[in-house]
Amino acid sequence: MEPKSKVNLTIDGKEVTAEEGMTILEAAQQTGIHIPTLCHHPALSSWGGCRMCVVAVEGVPRLVASCAMPVRSGMVVVTHNEKIVESRRTVLEFIFAERNHNCMFCPKSGDCELQQLAYDLQMDHLTVSQAFASFPVDVTNEYMGIDHNRCILCGRCVRACAELAGNHVLAFQNRGPRALVGLDLNETLAASSCAGCGICLQVCPTGAIFNRHRTHYAVKGHAKEWHSIDSHCPLCGLLCPTQAVVANNVLLKVEGRLLDAGQRPDRGQLCAKGRFEVLRDPADRLRLPFVRTASGQWQEASWENALDEVAAKMNFLRDTHGGQALFGIISARVSNEVLLSFRDLLIKGWSAETLDTFDGAHYRAVLAMSQEIGNHFREAAWQQLPEADFVIICGTDLCHHQPLLMSLLRRSVLENNTRVAIVGPTDSRNALAGFNLPATNDDLPAVIDGIWEAAVQSANATLNPSGKAKRARRMTTKPSGKVHPRKGRGQDVSREIPAEMVRQFLAAKQPLVIAGEALLAGQTAHGLSSLAKLAQLKSQDSQGRLLILKSNGNSAGAWKLGIAAQKSVGGRERLQGGIVVLEGEAATGTAAWTDRADLDFLAVISPYVTPHLRAKAHVLIPRPSWLEEAGTYTAMDGHEAARVEKVLQAPAGIRDTWQTLLALAERAGFHPPAKTLEALTRKVEAELNPGPEVRHQQNSATEGREIHD
Amino acid sequence: MSFLDLDETLVDVLSKVQLTVSPITDFKDYDFPEVDVGIVEGGIGNTEHKEIAEKLRKHCRILVAWGDCAVFGGINTLRNGLSKDEVLRYGFIETESTVNGVMPIHAELPALLDKVLPLHEVVPVDVFLPGCPPAPEVIAYGLTEILEGRLPVLPADMIHFD
Repeated sequence: MEPKSKVNLTIDGKEVTAEEGMTILEAAQQTGIHIPTLCHHPALSSWGGCRMCVVAVEGVPRLVASCAMPVRSGMVVVTHNEKIVESRRTVLEFIFAERNHNCMFCPKSGDCELQQLAYDLQMDHLTVSQAFASFPVDVTNEYMGIDHNRCILCGRCVRACAELAGNHVLAFQNRGPRALVGLDLNETLAASSCAGCGICLQVCPTGAIFNRHRTHYAVKGHAKEWHSIDSHCPLCGLLCPTQAVVANNVLLKVEGRLLDAGQRPDRGQLCAKGRFEVLRDPADRLRLPFVRTASGQWQEASWENALDEVAAKMNFLRDTHGGQALFGIISARVSNEVLLSFRDLLIKGWSAETLDTFDGAHYRAVLAMSQEIGNHFREAAWQQLPEADFVIICGTDLCHHQPLLMSLLRRSVLENNTRVAIVGPTDSRNALAGFNLPATNDDLPAVIDGIWEAAVQSANATLNPSGKAKRARRMTTKPSGKVHPRKGRGQDVSREIPAEMVRQFLAAKQPLVIAGEALLAGQTAHGLSSLAKLAQLKSQDSQGRLLILKSNGNSAGAWKLGIAAQKSVGGRERLQGGIVVLEGEAATGTAAWTDRADLDFLAVISPYVTPHLRAKAHVLIPRPSWLEEAGTYTAMDGHEAARVEKVLQAPAGIRDTWQTLLALAERAGFHPPAKTLEALTRKVEAELNPGPEVRHQQNSATEGREIHD
Repeated sequence: MSFLDLDETLVDVLSKVQLTVSPITDFKDYDFPEVDVGIVEGGIGNTEHKEIAEKLRKHCRILVAWGDCAVFGGINTLRNGLSKDEVLRYGFIETESTVNGVMPIHAELPALLDKVLPLHEVVPVDVFLPGCPPAPEVIAYGLTEILEGRLPVLPADMIHFD
């Protein structure tokens, strides 16, 4: 890229050098000159609507909005004088007078840009009369509400919804003093096409869009007690950069790092899970270790006693029955450091032959696919999505499972005319798809086979133009011989595959195929192979074309660290004792392991306790939740990793999971070389990124920057 | 209460002022003496408020709007979206706990104004001390400035609306 030419101008008597195309506001900010703003947000396009940022430009008869006025060579700008301040204060007073901006009963007081401007401009009363108009309040969404009485019509939310989320739900409706920000055609939050991501809440400068879970936390200067921590969200494997705001060990809000998102195509957004669901009060916390007595009663135990008990039972079972009687199952939502400590404890400490994650079956589906297509499978990076010109989504409801990818997709459809085909379950918000091939999970593999065959035929026909297929407008295919329709169905599941869809896919320069969770479940897993082959038709370059959505936030890390078992385990073997590490999984997802009737001993390490766990376990050991311990996580596509920081303090006395696992390892007779979290992180990095060159600086463990594969 | 939070500053202030009329003196007629400083807290919501404000204005040199309600109208302005009749009917008849409610409309009772207004929309005001309540340092600053012969203008870091 050519460097932009420089522009010299004067701001408040200072010689300033700016780049061509910059606004006066940007030029002033980079020089450290403060200009108040309100409708302007650095992550959004300029609007110039509020006139708070007005400045005087020599030779221009009226004040100009500095956020919208580009710099010009030789410009002489004044940002503060009596006339300018008077103009700003008048504007501010009109805004205050227009609606209900009484701070004392506003949930945002103390954390409000409008209020701060009033303080800065010493607005100690209003010289204009208030309008006292009444507007509706929308509290139909669980996490956020819209109080139009507090809205200043700055339009940040409208721009954020369109420019960042690509959702275009918000728009101005009505005119003049009755204008308000409406959803769709005058819908409520709940009934509209709002995805609930909360980007509007993050950019709202007032209490108009407010967080229903945390209100009134900033009143009376309490915002001074806040501190913020830059971290990453590990919930879905996209590792979105976050800023968590905490006061007195309460998580007040999680925001996307809109100004610090680097090259991320999502530009620092978050989805509802990462922004809001984390604010929910956690389930029943396990605060102390418990050991079940001989009579079956639960008894509080010291940490030492609980660890001794686990080690004694597991050591005994190992020594009497050998490693084949022991198992360790771990959540794929925990950090790489915990995964690695767990793996070493189980294998090196107890010689356990059964080690797996709760989503191990999904790993084996991917493994089977990889073997079937010849082991040169290379997964696409999720960041390829915005460049993709044709996207096939198979077996997932992207809106629900990967809201952020959905946002990227919406934007590329609107901005780049990306074509989309959806195969499998759909919902109304998937209306952006040019091709919809609804299919039940049972039908899915046959439909994918159909697409693949049609693509192969079409590709061959293009190579041999004399073939008939070239003229065929519609192509009907049957599932290939490899597909075995499920028992009991019997009927032919062949379908019409739109020829135009196949043609566009084959013609695409950067196609991307996304495989969802329906293709990772046992019965339909062979659909994944056909999909991989379809993707391979377009993988001439080294870039992968198939992205596999993982079921848990750190599935990719668990798979790469070899935790997930390569062969299905635990069905037939006689297991006698095991240890399970949880991160808030529901009982239905863990029952296959915790409910085994053949167990003499089960230890559970979990942040939460459920009646189910109380009924099944023999020892319960608490651990911090993911917000309460630091660690690295691997992105969904396995291409990079990021550090998740400790944001909250765990309840008193609870040890970090890696410390618990280290203590158990020592009791099992295995002495891990890594005795600090930093050493563990280095070990994880060395395993995940083998290679002669040292890829990462040592300090990456403590600085929280992204680690690129 | 915020006034009492002044702690020892309160002693300084009281040693320099003479309180002539206050809610504590339980005045029923408004025969104000001529005073230097009049302080009003609360928005102007009924005819009695308006009358007191107007009389006080006549008899004091410096009138202070004290607190968010006097400065902006405050929480009382929540009723401004409703008509007087709706407000009274809801407050005195329709509330769940009310049985055989009666509307408080009588020649001897003050009548509601159409809207609750900040003090300065009824009479001219010299000093504004916002805050809900005004912080002790705001009160101390305001009173000290007045005692030293200046009209206080709150610096930016002292203004608070909550």
